[in-house]
Amino acid sequence: MIIALVGNPNSGKSSLFNKLTGLRQKTGNFPGVTVEKKSGKLQLPNGETTTLIDFPGTYSLYPTSMDERILLNVLTNPLDKNYPDAIVYVADVTNLEKHLLLLTQIMDLGIPCLLALSMSDIAEKKSISVDEKQLSSFLKISVVTVSGRTGANLELLKKNIIQLLKPQANEFNPFYDFSDTEKKIAQQIASITGYKNLYLNKLFAHHHQQLPFFDKGQKESISNICEENGFKNLSYQIKETMNRFDRFAPMAQKVLARHSDKISLTDKIDAILTHKVLAPFIFFLVMLVVFQAIFAWAAYPMDWIEGGFSALGRFVENTLPSGWFTDLLTEGLIAGLGGILVFIPQIAILFFLISILEEVGYMARAVFIFDKLMQQFGLNGRSVVALISGGACAIPAVMSARTISNWKERLITIMVTPLISCSARIPVYAVLIGFVIPSETVMGIFNLQGLAFMGLYLLGILAAFVSAFVFKMILKSNEQSFLMMELPNYRWPVWRNVWQNIIEKVSAFVIEAGKVIMLISIILWVLASYGPTEAMSTAEANAITEAKAQSLDENATADLIAAKKIEASFAGHLGKAIEPAIRPLGFDWKIGIALITSFAAREVFVGTMATIYSIGSTEDEQTIHDKLDAAKNPVTGAKVYSAATSLSLLIFYVFAMQCMSTLAVVKRETGSWKWAAIQFVYMSCLAYLGSFFTYQLMTL
Amino acid sequence: MNSPLSKLKVGNQGKIAYFMDDAIAGKLTTMGVLPGSVVNVIRKAPFKGGIYLKIDGGNIVLRDREAAAIILSV
Repeated sequence: MIIALVGNPNSGKSSLFNKLTGLRQKTGNFPGVTVEKKSGKLQLPNGETTTLIDFPGTYSLYPTSMDERILLNVLTNPLDKNYPDAIVYVADVTNLEKHLLLLTQIMDLGIPCLLALSMSDIAEKKSISVDEKQLSSFLKISVVTVSGRTGANLELLKKNIIQLLKPQANEFNPFYDFSDTEKKIAQQIASITGYKNLYLNKLFAHHHQQLPFFDKGQKESISNICEENGFKNLSYQIKETMNRFDRFAPMAQKVLARHSDKISLTDKIDAILTHKVLAPFIFFLVMLVVFQAIFAWAAYPMDWIEGGFSALGRFVENTLPSGWFTDLLTEGLIAGLGGILVFIPQIAILFFLISILEEVGYMARAVFIFDKLMQQFGLNGRSVVALISGGACAIPAVMSARTISNWKERLITIMVTPLISCSARIPVYAVLIGFVIPSETVMGIFNLQGLAFMGLYLLGILAAFVSAFVFKMILKSNEQSFLMMELPNYRWPVWRNVWQNIIEKVSAFVIEAGKVIMLISIILWVLASYGPTEAMSTAEANAITEAKAQSLDENATADLIAAKKIEASFAGHLGKAIEPAIRPLGFDWKIGIALITSFAAREVFVGTMATIYSIGSTEDEQTIHDKLDAAKNPVTGAKVYSAATSLSLLIFYVFAMQCMSTLAVVKRETGSWKWAAIQFVYMSCLAYLGSFFTYQLMTL
Repeated sequence: MNSPLSKLKVGNQGKIAYFMDDAIAGKLTTMGVLPGSVVNVIRKAPFKGGIYLKIDGGNIVLRDREAAAIILSV
């Protein structure tokens, strides 16, 4: 049994979904598209387990974006595997009048449904009440008032769902008054589609060209019927919408104890947060706080994790007999795993803050504030959401561009979003910034490294806007673009939703990115430990001779042997092969190896460095940072990580497209490899040129 | 007197008479913005951007071009 959770945006649907399914959720995609599909198990009081699907927030069955289209595509196709047996329709009490439109459309499709009225905290504070009985007898479906926050009445809701799933009489009168022409058209289309429901066939008349399940012949026949009868798509849609509102609006007003018209808290807050002059400054202040928080809060848990893994590595090394297996375990696996897990605090904090901004309703304000500015760069106000989410991860960010209905604006958003520094760059920045910027506090509150971090983010943002502008000039389109948006009332975040989001995103990072990082760590360990046998033994012999000549002590000799061996290994050969190309950027062959592996996923850089530098080192408890700092050019004795090289490397990571997963998502979202390829090429060029000029200028 | 919403000054109020553009009307009506709805202009966005409106108690933001398609009876 499948139950669909449907409602307008900001109807309290997600809170209810989280409350109903708890942790028994999974995230997937609707077939053929990348709109996120959240589903979970719902246990009913009679022991039956059903699947609950959370559909994207939608205003009506006349969609204006890809996101909204999902509901139409599923509900108009009874053969779809997500087609629900019943629908729980969620409407916010404070906006009852507006939220009834989609409900009456769904009722007309003849799918069993019930109305769950969600009480937001605002409704509770204003003590808004609804006459459920009167509403229920008017709509002829059951009505339950629930709270996704406190969980009130959830048992009653589940009992009503059981009733809903029982076989029902098929006779019903559509809510909408069909005109004679509409009826005639719908009946003619019914003879082609074989579905009896009048409203379903009316929707076919409106949407048949975009529906994926019709073949060319069917589309043509339906088009012919529409044409013969003078079907006017948009004006029939408007007529239907107004007819529905005319019927339910008076009723909604009657059952609802009206709230007062005095200035609400939301209006007072918006007077400041969306203020013509103050708004942008407040926005940047908020962003500054976000990035300072990541630095300040994450430091402690990161230290614990780092310390824990060092201790684990030493423990394993001392407990197990020495040999290749122990080496693989300590230097490959444990070092690699530590390299991933240490960044969980930063990622969790970033997602935590972004979720809160989304939950309280600030993101929608940001869309309004920056819409005009975004348009100058060929973007849409909604691009702000993608660009901010890009600060966490480009993958969900690229997908969030689905809410932009204009193709050109959406494409540009997708193309430039990966330039926003994502959480995978945090590890690289964190390790390298230390080589360029001292850890000092300025003006009492600002951490200098935190400011440098912000600087790198700003550089990414700047690059994104410049690129967007270039794309705007190149791409041509005359499709209409919209802002038109509802601003939800401010509300306290529902913490359950925030935690759920953090758990989901962090586990995705650990599992998805982690798999790649672990695999690459192991491959790297093999490549760095083995090489052509002859070359390896020659390297060792040479190192020993050289050490004796310089009368080095035991540790220095071991390090020298390790360095010479890596150079002779497969990894060394690989790095050296590309060294001529990256020499002008200030990179040696060791960094070369890291660059190659980073093209799978940039966070691999740190793990790679850990592997390369911990091999042969006698002090395993040293952190990655200390190791890189101690790295010296074996010939000249100069530091490998000079300020120039480190800065050049930072610039490279700001611009480079080093994430296979993002490229795959871009391909899926744009429908072709063409745009993914263009994205890869332009970002790589930016990275190379950026690094080149940085290094050359710094070493003049 | 009928005039487009885009001409209405901040702080003023009007009632929607009709829409000039079917595509814009199609989307606005699904959001519950209908002929007869009462519109208040609350403020303008930064960077010479869109307008922040109060329509029948709800907060809606529009671009100038979108507001120009809404005709009010003032």
